[in-house]
Amino acid sequence: MSDFGIGTVGMLVLFVLLALRVPVAFAMFGVGFAGIWALNGLNAAKSLLASESFTLASMPELVVVPLFILMGNVASETGMSRKLYDAAYAIVGRVRGGLASATVIGCGGFAALSGSSVASALTIGKVSLGEMERFNYDPRLSTGAVAAGGTLGILIPPSTGFVIYAILTQESIGRLFLAGVLPGLLLLGMFIATITLQCWINPALGPRGPVTTTAEKLRAFVGAVPVVGVIVMTVGGIYSGLFSPVEASAVGAGLFIIIGLINRTLTLRAFWAAAKSSVTTTATVMLILIAAHMINPFLALSHIPQALGEFLIGLDMPRMVILALILATYMVLGCFLEGFAMLVLTMPIFFPIIQQLGFDPIWFGVLVVLTLEMGLISPPVGVNVFIVKSVVPHVPLGTIFRGVMPFWGAMIVTLILLVAFPQIALILPDTMID
Amino acid sequence: MLRALDTLAGRVIALSAFLGTLGLLTEVVVILADVTGRFFGAPIRGAQDITQMAMVVLVFGGMALCDRQGGHIAVDLFERHFPDWANRLGDILSALLGAAIFLGIAWTMWESSFISRMLRSATNIIGLPKVWFQYYVIVSSLITAFGMALRALVLTLGGAVRKGYDA
Repeated sequence: MSDFGIGTVGMLVLFVLLALRVPVAFAMFGVGFAGIWALNGLNAAKSLLASESFTLASMPELVVVPLFILMGNVASETGMSRKLYDAAYAIVGRVRGGLASATVIGCGGFAALSGSSVASALTIGKVSLGEMERFNYDPRLSTGAVAAGGTLGILIPPSTGFVIYAILTQESIGRLFLAGVLPGLLLLGMFIATITLQCWINPALGPRGPVTTTAEKLRAFVGAVPVVGVIVMTVGGIYSGLFSPVEASAVGAGLFIIIGLINRTLTLRAFWAAAKSSVTTTATVMLILIAAHMINPFLALSHIPQALGEFLIGLDMPRMVILALILATYMVLGCFLEGFAMLVLTMPIFFPIIQQLGFDPIWFGVLVVLTLEMGLISPPVGVNVFIVKSVVPHVPLGTIFRGVMPFWGAMIVTLILLVAFPQIALILPDTMID
Repeated sequence: MLRALDTLAGRVIALSAFLGTLGLLTEVVVILADVTGRFFGAPIRGAQDITQMAMVVLVFGGMALCDRQGGHIAVDLFERHFPDWANRLGDILSALLGAAIFLGIAWTMWESSFISRMLRSATNIIGLPKVWFQYYVIVSSLITAFGMALRALVLTLGGAVRKGYDA
């Protein structure tokens, strides 16, 4: 059998294993190992297994992953997320749909802490959904706002999605983080506009929240100062050259621990729980990364990415059409695959094509991450939707999916804007980094 | 017998996760101390070496608990459309494949450790011997494989799987 034939069989086996609910990492590991064995012999497969496992697990750049996860977990345990929400509410709570807008802003702020979409949706959802229910918000709007707001976590830096993209494509984490700032803020603005528009069309969706006094507003802002301070220190520290991303993540986690200890909001038990949860989440992420480094050489050896690239380029279509096809593929895959797994599975295939077509890899990274975000709220496997469902089990899943649809539309508009105006993503990295 | 094995698995997995958590805390403390020290002109020598090896401890320490808690990402889209026996078969296959993968990691790491010992392979700055950490990877991978193999056995015998651990 030809190399390409073995590669094709390998991909088919991979899809069968995935359909049988075999964890993504195990399926990629198994197919990658067997494929390299078939193409290059057992010794090649064995040496790759040993070297990739140890090299990936000790890669200095990846230390940011557990530390940012810890930072988010500690922030959640210490109630910092509540303070972010309260501050956002003090700004926009009085307008129609204001609680939903505050939720989205809170999600954006928490995203800047945790880098995780699921953590953002869960943490802010726990705080805000009860409040919105109390003020008679339509569950479609409230749940949709939380599920969509949570997706900001993967775009607004620090973002685990960008770290993984950077590792897979050898791009700069710092440039990617910077590239995510304006698109993240644009998307945040789009979400708020979506909420405002919905409430303007149907005011019953999101009634006005109660009036807050100036003293209450001031208290909310003061409460959020430490959280905002940590965000500014960590993200600002990276760009001012004060810290590397790894150091910034440790400083952020350390500062939250110190704040929690001073405020007495972080008990030893809660801290240990946050640390242990960070360890298991890191293990999940790292195993997929190691597995990706097993299957990627197999794909390269079988020439599948090369053949697909040649096929797409041979279609003689404008390169923007090919880009649209790739993004459309991500959208479709996002309906079935978990975003992070989708990233590691597809990047070895699509990234060489993007390079061949001469697109900016940083800009493409932003587009891909935004498309992954859409997968987080796309039926039938939108993870954030299930997270929201776990917080409000009495709201039917169909209602939540209907609620996220307008936000999904806002994401499409943002994606189109980013494709039409790449400078939205590139202006910050191009001007701030050489 | 199975119950005793399950309790044993729970305990060694808890120990492995404990070591992983210590690895994480080491990273935080060392990097913070290094950044603070650098501010005062006295950074920690070999901080990157320590955090790199702590990362190995963290990653492999958390693998067994991650599996025991069902933390690995899987596509459960077709679950509803498959009969129970097919889903059970998928679970058994996953556990067996996982056990084989971690046994494979342990085996290849064992072979690789001979080379590391022969070449006295160490970290760049303070020369932490890599072979110690390879031994750690071997032990944690065996613990992970043991947990997975036990799950496969329990599922094959028609039992239910316990999540979490006893510690």
